[in-house]
Amino acid sequence: MTTSNQHPLRKILETRIAIIDGAMGTTIRTYGMKEADIRGDRFKDSTKDMLNNGDLFSLTQPDMICDIHRRFLDAGADIIETNTFGATSITQSEFFVDDPREHGGRKDPEFYQKIIDDPMLSDLAWEINEKSAQQCREWADRVGSATGRQRFVAGAIGPLTVSLSNSPDADDAGFRVVTFDQVKTAYAQQVRALIAGGSDLLLVETIFDSLNAKAALVAIREVFDQDGKELPVMISAAVGRGGETLISAQTTEAFWNAVQHVKPLSVGLNCSLGPDLMYPFLEELSEKANVAISCYPNAGLPNPLSETGFDLGPADMARYLGDFARGGLINIAGGCCGNTPEHIAAIAKALEGKAPRNWTRQIEAAA
Amino acid sequence: MSENERANLTPETKPLRLSGSQPFTQQSGVYIMIGERTNVAGSPKFAKLVKEGKYEEAVSVARQQVENGANVLDICMDEGMIDGVAAMTRYLQLLASEPEVAKVPFMVDSSKWEVIEAGLKCLQGKGIVNSISLKEGEDKFRQNAATVLKYGAAVVVMAFDEQGQAATYEEKIRICERAYRILVDELGFPPEDIIFDPNILTVATGMEEHNNYAVDFINATRWIKANLPHAKVSGGVSNISFSFRGNNKVREAMHSAFLYHAIAAGMDMGIVNAGMLEVYEEIEAELKELVEDVLLNRRPDATERLVDYGETLKGVGKAVNEKKAEEWRNGTVEERLSHALVKGIDAYIEIDAEEARVKLGRPLLVIEGPLMDGMGVVGDLFGAGKMFLPQVVKSARVMKKAVAHLTPFMEAEKAAMEASGQVVKAQGKILLATVKGDVHDIGKNIVGVVLACNNYEVIDMGVMVSSEKILERARAEKVDIIGLSGLITPSLDEMVHVAREMERQGFKLPLLIGGATTSRAHTAVKIAPHYSEPVVHVLDASRAVPVTTSLLSEDGREAFVVEHRANFEAIRKAHSAPKQTLVPIATARTRRTPIEWRAEDLPVPEFTGVRVLDNFPLATLREFIDWSPFFHTWGMKGIYPRILDHAEQGAQARQIFTEANALLDLIIEKSLITARGVYGFFPANAVGDDVELYTDDTRKEVLERFHFLRQQANREGSEPCRSLADFIAPKETGLQDYIGGFAVTSGIGLKELCDRFRVENDDYNAIMAEAVADRLAEAFAECLHKRVRDEWGYGREEGLSPADLIQEKYRGIRPAAGYPACPDHTEKGPLWHLLDVQAKTGMLITESFAMWPGSSVSGLYFAHPNSRYFSLGKIGRDQVADYHERKGMSLVEVERWLGQNLNYDPAESTR
Repeated sequence: MTTSNQHPLRKILETRIAIIDGAMGTTIRTYGMKEADIRGDRFKDSTKDMLNNGDLFSLTQPDMICDIHRRFLDAGADIIETNTFGATSITQSEFFVDDPREHGGRKDPEFYQKIIDDPMLSDLAWEINEKSAQQCREWADRVGSATGRQRFVAGAIGPLTVSLSNSPDADDAGFRVVTFDQVKTAYAQQVRALIAGGSDLLLVETIFDSLNAKAALVAIREVFDQDGKELPVMISAAVGRGGETLISAQTTEAFWNAVQHVKPLSVGLNCSLGPDLMYPFLEELSEKANVAISCYPNAGLPNPLSETGFDLGPADMARYLGDFARGGLINIAGGCCGNTPEHIAAIAKALEGKAPRNWTRQIEAAA
Repeated sequence: MSENERANLTPETKPLRLSGSQPFTQQSGVYIMIGERTNVAGSPKFAKLVKEGKYEEAVSVARQQVENGANVLDICMDEGMIDGVAAMTRYLQLLASEPEVAKVPFMVDSSKWEVIEAGLKCLQGKGIVNSISLKEGEDKFRQNAATVLKYGAAVVVMAFDEQGQAATYEEKIRICERAYRILVDELGFPPEDIIFDPNILTVATGMEEHNNYAVDFINATRWIKANLPHAKVSGGVSNISFSFRGNNKVREAMHSAFLYHAIAAGMDMGIVNAGMLEVYEEIEAELKELVEDVLLNRRPDATERLVDYGETLKGVGKAVNEKKAEEWRNGTVEERLSHALVKGIDAYIEIDAEEARVKLGRPLLVIEGPLMDGMGVVGDLFGAGKMFLPQVVKSARVMKKAVAHLTPFMEAEKAAMEASGQVVKAQGKILLATVKGDVHDIGKNIVGVVLACNNYEVIDMGVMVSSEKILERARAEKVDIIGLSGLITPSLDEMVHVAREMERQGFKLPLLIGGATTSRAHTAVKIAPHYSEPVVHVLDASRAVPVTTSLLSEDGREAFVVEHRANFEAIRKAHSAPKQTLVPIATARTRRTPIEWRAEDLPVPEFTGVRVLDNFPLATLREFIDWSPFFHTWGMKGIYPRILDHAEQGAQARQIFTEANALLDLIIEKSLITARGVYGFFPANAVGDDVELYTDDTRKEVLERFHFLRQQANREGSEPCRSLADFIAPKETGLQDYIGGFAVTSGIGLKELCDRFRVENDDYNAIMAEAVADRLAEAFAECLHKRVRDEWGYGREEGLSPADLIQEKYRGIRPAAGYPACPDHTEKGPLWHLLDVQAKTGMLITESFAMWPGSSVSGLYFAHPNSRYFSLGKIGRDQVADYHERKGMSLVEVERWLGQNLNYDPAESTR
């Protein structure tokens, strides 16, 4: 429970705004990789397209992935995220198992039980998480010792391709494709592998369904208890225009109430809206939560007609996050989709010397 | 009960914080209401519904509890014939899909731990576990508490230990303290999340040792609140009165008297049927004394005395379930259907759908009419961030019920048509797929549900589906529409590929495009050009049905497609053509309307402040009517009076003109509608592009401020960049200028008049009345403008004929918010405030800044001889940002209101 109190990152967060890296997926796309590149030898016979299974690059193109990590570290990131957003057996199954709906079937707990029990998918998920964490570890330590500034590896735990809150069946609002326990099992395996690979932190992120996130947080607690090792946890939600988690529609304060018991190192918002529309909800969270606040938005809303797919350039992101810092709202800042190393460098520069939000004082004031 | 008697939360106590989809924070001095009708042990009706598998009705029980004000719902499935784990899971999953219920926190209530844990696995928010205790020893207690903590819930701790239930004060506080120390000191359980239930036990049983039970509970509550920091106290209140079963009058009095004292001692919440609660102050004095004698154990014969008194009351109990009057049921059937869809209420949807079917004559008209309109409202609210996805889905499920009711009628109609040899179209079939390379489909699944609820046959091919498979299946199934979805950027290219393939293979189906990274502009520019059939971007699930309905409607399809093509053509043009070149707002301000400011051009009005015109003579207004727009209302283009002699339209024009005047005669003679208005003059000066209005001629205190926009189009030559602010003397000139404002209506009584016509099935005169009233309102504005010019002085010499007035040959202008010179409708806000319009006339501005009643006009008066109308045209991001700062309105909102005038797409580059 008290790990996060003694953690060196926590001390940093009290003295300055820490920088977290930018987007993996959209940055990979700037390398012009082709289907054959991601497959390599190992997946050359896959029946499905792999190109958008970005986590797989950690296995087949480690040089590129490490290059991206290095560039983010050089740009000034204190925290880099593992390339494991979809590295669970559930999400990987989408790339390896035939979708029963193509043949008039459906996805349901029975289908996902087979996925959970599939050794190939489990092994693959483990391998991606462990390898990716090791790659991050190596580069975080290299750049850390070269610059004399400790860097941290956050094991990235994404939201899955299934929802525990939503029924895809028009005739039955109570139906769910997957069960809480199945989701928890998939997450628990990811958590163990991320820890085994050397992660410093666990980051449950891009939460659009709070119940999915809860399954991840329960899995984390159980792994900690069973394995006797504990890491600080960071939590970050993706909210819509009303400040609600996009699929399960839980508003910001309600979300904080639901995850507060984890005593996370930080809670925050990422992805979705981009910085300007995110502002009021970040403000609300900053007011309610007695832990560090993180913020790594998309580079604006997606815009398919712009060259990078997103609107905001490095200078824009730096300006927005600089404003948040001036408002005393944040302890951790960075970028999500559309943010390249150049964006992160600009953000890091803009936040240099800016005071972090003082949450310990806020707790005293509230008490 | 006064506030200070409610001792549950002292300033140092942390409140209980919970959540469903919405947060819940305990308020100081406010008792937490826990709904208990969803507990099978407490409600035989609920138990029956669950046992019979009637979950839908069981969900409506939860809904009623929330509507009646329950802060938390207690859900219990402990009953021999019910599979607790399955029932708890299924019920909570259904409630999660019921947005109005899902907003509150749930209390998962069971004596079986596996049922509790099954419940916790369904809660996205922070709920309450009911309950844990030391009954099975400390190890089990620790283990269960750790599980509760792992899921993040508050917990009810029963005052039980290895020896059994705590009955006396001493036992209660001993057990509660022991539990508290384990939870807080050993497990780090947040103390504010601990809710003790020190056992409310039945009094007045005839057993002497039971007589002090209420006192014991109350004293234990006081002790807990004083000695166990932040802990809360709860209890099952109805236990207290169990010995008076069948005598509701006594029970209700006992419950409220007990709560009165327990809450004063610090009780935070309780499980009680709100319908079984008398108001403490309203308990009759004699009964109150008898009840309190029992509860507070004040005399040895208290029980006997209450029993005797109770005998005299038997059977007097009041009705329990007083249903809250549902006001929305009084609206028209269209309004009711819309309300039901927006609020996700399915209780009356079949009755209302039937009423609408009878009224409109054909089932399809109900779907394409009021139901689709309702879904349109849902779409608008969702787009504005005022509704969330689960609510959209719930609305669709209500829609499904309405459609299900109408389906047999449509089939009968179809059969009749077939019998008479007509060709009948089958129900629409839609194929959905997430394109190759993309695994994201939660959003697409929601679209599928919404479409299926609207009676479409939906074939969902899942994720990562190749173009070949999509098209092969589309052909095999003979679908009517294909919908493609994708979340990641590379999917956009795959969508282009599918469109190309459809063209190459000669498909004739419309193609829908949706997903987070897609956009209307991208669809128009990059996808649509590759396929000859309509390619439509569907913004979100709430927009899917209006699009598919239009595309598959026999009557509506062509118009939709034509309009859609025109829109896309315009988008493409806008995209390819360089945007209109604008001058920066700073430059535009240097090109303001050139006016040489002279005091003699600034007339002083006869008065400043506000005047009201009530019951303005309609006969006077009639003289000011401009009839040309009246004919436009009826689709006749032409200028009055020439139109009366028009070769083709003349006869009909004369006829409606005669009828309009006949109606006008009647309206005036019988005073069927009332004209009312308000106007005023105010000292004013321009400050930048704002105009400041002052409280008086010292011009020290700003009364109100209007925000104007400035033209930015880079015109050739020396045309100025105009703003309405240009027509008021700038503050720095030191000159004393004035501005006027007005709001008039001729719509008071109009609705009643139209309703009366409609009741008599005279729709024609109802429309005519509205058209005439509109003319009167415009005439009112014109007539008042004449008076204003007179009162400003310069109008008295103008000597203009009514025709001259219509052609606006006079000095000065009266621009209105929402019109070309000042397109921002929200500027009506300051005007309403300035003139106190609502209080003085009853005219309202709606949420969308429309005026109510209809047939209303409002605006500002400018007197300067150089003032003129103009059209703002396109404006740039720089001015919009400046305007947002000046006005203190969010950028998103400014962009929404000024959408037509933006020279950029707000969803695109902000660089």
